[in-house]
Amino acid sequence: MAELWRPIRKILREPLGALGLFLVLFVIFGAVFADLLTSWDPTKINPRDRFQGPSTQHLMGTDQLGRDLFARVLHGGRIALFVALVSTAVSLVIGIVLGLIAGYGPRWLDNLMILLFDAMKSFPTVMLALALVTLMGPSLTAVMVVVVLVTVPGYARIIRTQTIALKTSEYVTAAQSMGASSARILRVHILPNVIGPLVILASMDIPVVIGIEAGMSFLGLGVRPPTPSWGSILNDGFTNIRDTAWIAIAGGVPIIITTLGFTFLGETLRDVFDPRLKGR
Amino acid sequence: MSSIFKGDVSRRSVLAGAGALGAASLAFPHMAVSADGSVLTIRSYSDLQVLDPAFWLALPEADIMRSIYAPLVSNQQGDEWNWRPIAVENIEQLDDLTIAFKLRDNIGFTDGFGQMTADDVKFSIERIADPANESPYAGDWSALKEVEVKDNLSGLIHLKNKFVPLWTTTLPTPASCIVSRKAVEEIGGKIGSEPVAQSGQYILTEWVPKQKTVLKRNPDWAYEPGGYEEIHILPIEDPSTAELGFEAGDLDYTWTSVSSLPRLKENPPAGSVVEEKPSLAYVWLGMNHDNEALKDVRIRRAIQHAIDRQTVVDAAYFGAAAVGNGIIAPGLPGSRDSVTYDYDPDKARELLAEAGAEGMTVTLDILNQSERLTAAQVIQANLADVGITCEIKQNDSGTFWTLGSKDGDYFMNLQLVLSRFSMNPDPSWATVWFTPEQVGVWNWERFNNEEYKALHEEGLVESDPAKRDEIYKKMQGLMDESGCYVFLTHEVVGLIHKDTVNPGLKPNGEPLLPLFKPA
Repeated sequence: MAELWRPIRKILREPLGALGLFLVLFVIFGAVFADLLTSWDPTKINPRDRFQGPSTQHLMGTDQLGRDLFARVLHGGRIALFVALVSTAVSLVIGIVLGLIAGYGPRWLDNLMILLFDAMKSFPTVMLALALVTLMGPSLTAVMVVVVLVTVPGYARIIRTQTIALKTSEYVTAAQSMGASSARILRVHILPNVIGPLVILASMDIPVVIGIEAGMSFLGLGVRPPTPSWGSILNDGFTNIRDTAWIAIAGGVPIIITTLGFTFLGETLRDVFDPRLKGR
Repeated sequence: MSSIFKGDVSRRSVLAGAGALGAASLAFPHMAVSADGSVLTIRSYSDLQVLDPAFWLALPEADIMRSIYAPLVSNQQGDEWNWRPIAVENIEQLDDLTIAFKLRDNIGFTDGFGQMTADDVKFSIERIADPANESPYAGDWSALKEVEVKDNLSGLIHLKNKFVPLWTTTLPTPASCIVSRKAVEEIGGKIGSEPVAQSGQYILTEWVPKQKTVLKRNPDWAYEPGGYEEIHILPIEDPSTAELGFEAGDLDYTWTSVSSLPRLKENPPAGSVVEEKPSLAYVWLGMNHDNEALKDVRIRRAIQHAIDRQTVVDAAYFGAAAVGNGIIAPGLPGSRDSVTYDYDPDKARELLAEAGAEGMTVTLDILNQSERLTAAQVIQANLADVGITCEIKQNDSGTFWTLGSKDGDYFMNLQLVLSRFSMNPDPSWATVWFTPEQVGVWNWERFNNEEYKALHEEGLVESDPAKRDEIYKKMQGLMDESGCYVFLTHEVVGLIHKDTVNPGLKPNGEPLLPLFKPA
């Protein structure tokens, strides 16, 4: 338990880290307890009540279809966090496996995989998203596939580099000489030593992932209506900006809060675990 | 800042720099280059795809074609539906079956294809009418017998039978745009997005897909020149985006979204003029008769009863448009006051239960525009209320306008589709798209009714307004009965232009590009 509290205490000692942690917990709380925090159905339309400003009845007002914006923002948070956490986790697993194989495997396989990572990385995100949506149609799955394809090469490259550095280390050579299998060496001796920086990097990537989800939904390439998403709320706000600014505010503020929260938290985590990079 | 000059660029300094740039752009919002007085910049709601008078897809292509391929006649601007000669010195109807024309003497085709002749007129009209060419616009010339060439510039258009809409919806449309026989035959018979042998008041000089089309005054056009040296047409699908573009000074003229009209009329941007025009267009929810899930008429009728048309129209247009009851707008023969189905969710549930289709899922394809999306979401909610799950699929214009085409691979999967067709001032120009010949062309509902076809043909030769009214009302009744249609609205046309622009507009607000002039 003390092991767990030590980094948290370090984070809380940094003002930006504490703010980041607070914002992230705030967003997670809103998403998890959305059903308790509001009784409004986020998809229930009522055109007669459109474009209402904030009130005790509708805390953030209503959109062009009279839907409660507070409910849509909270439920949109669920989508954003779901996409961010699930697709980042999937990316991490795939990136780790591919990076370990590339770093520990034969040279020709390393070269081939580096070529693959670079090819994947060279696709502009928006073009990749458009191509995938053309093939799969707009959906949450399409968003997650885009995120995975965009982030895996970066993770895999980091793991590969660290694996190459470690595979000639003395304790790995010792394990090899004792007859340990490659799988055991990777799992027991290399993975625990390379995964730390990656977790920090992944936490810093979460705002990027949320941005991709919101961007795709803004363009109509993400989650399908009526499912609320911060990107689609922002699009509604953009479309109706001259009628009311509240929709754009409702869509934009959560993205800003979440992005700042995860960025501050990620940077503080990095500073805590790798002080050499502090302030950069 | 010093760290940047030293080449020590951190993530935070980049963010700070980006923030400063953003603040600067807010402080100086009008740094963009303003349009030159000799250039008119307008918005079209879709990019061009086909510049062939026999195969065009959307209204913006028709606007361009009328400018670059001289038509025999075109619409006159103003509040009355009239026509004016363009490529002809004179044209007159000698009797019910004969039209005589004489071309102007010195209209040339670009790219060295010589002078426009009566033989080019014969070629241009007959290629649209020829069933072998499968032109979607064959109906415009369905009464054509032949075009007889009298001499180099003169000829006679012979009809098989009387054709009432000839002067309203055939001649003033791209159906009378003249192309060069030699040029079209050289490229294999069909024009794509690159025009050949242009002859109009303007010539298309540049097309950057999805960005810009540039028309320049045709230096060889010897008659009344277009009002502007150049016309730049920017394809912007969403009208709300176009309104922002107009307010930012990037556009001189655009259609607005209908839902923005009340606000714009109340508070027009400085230096602009907002106009509202009666629309002939029609918007409807279509259902694919041949799709496996919708084959049972009870399911289609259930969907008709499930949709609250008033709420759909109010929500999408913020009260600026009225509910429509068919494909023929008020003021034309055949316009109706009501449809034969009412909003009755209980009846819808009953019909779905009878058909064993409770809990079914359908897809609804729409064009990626805010008004359509809003309408689609109300439809989605209405359908959810009777137990139908509806997935909305948003499409860009290039994809959307080919969804129901028999040449594609999606037409049988198409289930519900929210469509809008523009219209010319004769009811036959609305009914023609739903005839059996148009199945898989523009008839995406695949509504196939022989009685409807017979009535359409009867309407083309009937000149008594009362009888035509009866015919076209009956036709829309057949459409109701099929269950394939939920008629929503005729909209209104909202447009906004700078007060330095005098737009050339048809009575329904559609643009006549060569008639735009500086005010």
